[in-house]
Amino acid sequence: MKKILIIEDDETICNELSELLYNSNYEPIVLKNFKEIEEEINKVSADLILLDINIPYINGELLLQKIRKNNTIPVIMVTSKNSEADELLSMMYGADDYITKPYHPNILLFRISNIFKRLNESNEITSYKEITIDRERGILKRNHIEVCLTKNEMIIFSYLVNHKEKMVTRDELMTALWNNHEYINDNALTVNISRLRGKLKEIGYEDAIETRKGYGYILL
Amino acid sequence: MKWKYYIKDKIYAVLLFSFLFIFLFLFLLAFKTDMIVIVIISIFFILLFLLLLLIDFYRKKFFYDTLLSYLEQLDKKYLVLEMLSKPNFYEGNLLYETLYEINKSMIENLKQYEIQMNDFKEYVEMWIHEVKIPISSFVLMEHNHKNIFHKKSLEQMRRIEDYVEQILYYVRSENAHKDYLITTVSLSKVISVIALKYKDDLLENKIDFIVDMNEIEVLTDSKWLEFIMSQILANSIKYKDEKKSSYIKINVEEQREKVVLTIEDNGIGIPLSDISKVFDKSFTGHNGRIKTKSTGMGLFIAKNLCHKLGHKIDIDSKKCEYTKVSITFLKNNYYEVLK
Repeated sequence: MKKILIIEDDETICNELSELLYNSNYEPIVLKNFKEIEEEINKVSADLILLDINIPYINGELLLQKIRKNNTIPVIMVTSKNSEADELLSMMYGADDYITKPYHPNILLFRISNIFKRLNESNEITSYKEITIDRERGILKRNHIEVCLTKNEMIIFSYLVNHKEKMVTRDELMTALWNNHEYINDNALTVNISRLRGKLKEIGYEDAIETRKGYGYILL
Repeated sequence: MKWKYYIKDKIYAVLLFSFLFIFLFLFLLAFKTDMIVIVIISIFFILLFLLLLLIDFYRKKFFYDTLLSYLEQLDKKYLVLEMLSKPNFYEGNLLYETLYEINKSMIENLKQYEIQMNDFKEYVEMWIHEVKIPISSFVLMEHNHKNIFHKKSLEQMRRIEDYVEQILYYVRSENAHKDYLITTVSLSKVISVIALKYKDDLLENKIDFIVDMNEIEVLTDSKWLEFIMSQILANSIKYKDEKKSSYIKINVEEQREKVVLTIEDNGIGIPLSDISKVFDKSFTGHNGRIKTKSTGMGLFIAKNLCHKLGHKIDIDSKKCEYTKVSITFLKNNYYEVLK
């Protein structure tokens, strides 16, 4: 489980953020001692830091600069400051991403998983059961049978594979699609999923995607 | 300065002199002075008086005429004193000193006002950052505990968020300080940000979101542009036509010297009588009254921001058919050279 360090001084946000991350299979750690913040960061050795700009004792941007001196850990700035200058400054100091509050929780999760994906691209899941996934060509292959997926179908399938055996809401799939500049509507999503099912059926996985009424889908 | 008014102003001196002259004339007559002497004295006397008036007139005329002409030419009239040299006559000096004092006290006043404004602006910005924290908490809570919250609660929170954004950019747009930063911005990225922001609204309202563009970069402040486009998009969602299947189309067209971004919807449109006023402050118009109450600030702020960034914003609409808002970005070769 990836460890994520939350540096944020609002208690409610800390709690809710922890819960959100925990539910998405991350291990959240909340930073308590702001006085010896750098020692704390070194002690927990997290995989990613969510850093607020307005924190006690030190400015988040300055802290980022200090972290960057001897550490390449990914940092996402999460802040209510939303000016271009602030964003540019943070990116210049070496932030990997910049999200302004209030953010949509799914989008935050997306950005986090994007960073992890970027870090070890080879780690992206390239197979499902006996299927090999060729994302670049948009092809699923089982033995010698190949099926072509459209871009949308591939985005959906990838998301499902990455969350195998877990419930995935329609909203999450929508966010995944919209995040990739595919601004489709509800009907189109339904159509895409049934087409994807059809294609999976062609290569012998008829009931791989199950519908959970009132919730979403699950890839078994 | 005109002779007519000057003489009118000096009427006492003229009357007094005439009186004195007549008195002198009679006096000389009474003493049976030679006619030739009387004439010479009279001419001398009158010349002297005219000369006095003339000298006085031209000294003043020079000063006041320069003052008036500067006043007319300057567009910041309070700077007139800076242009003027100090006059060499008493009244002018008095005026000069007075103007100086008035100017000084006005500047002090203005400065104080500016400090107050800045304090207020800073406070509002700080307050907005503060208020975003509970909003964030709320959004997270709603996401984590969907079962406890009412389905529509998030929608209301989004409304609060939109209003908060609006005041933030109002403060930024009204202030003389530069709060923006022009960089090279990818339009598809900006569109993606606002698409994700309004995703739920668009899906709930069953509005199709169609983007037709190639990858294009423009010079702008991405945060400001996001706000401007949000305002337009929010209007398109708010004023959709319930009778049609709605869509919002975003189209980007690159021309030789400019890039035009168009946001088109097939909503209820804007009546012809209102269209020229939609960018005015606090203008709500016909549409603003039929749907939920409108503040009439969104487009006003958007226009203001566009103006500051040097973009052009235009609106075109046909009632019951469509509304089309276009933002024009000029390409700037100078910037390319600087880079």
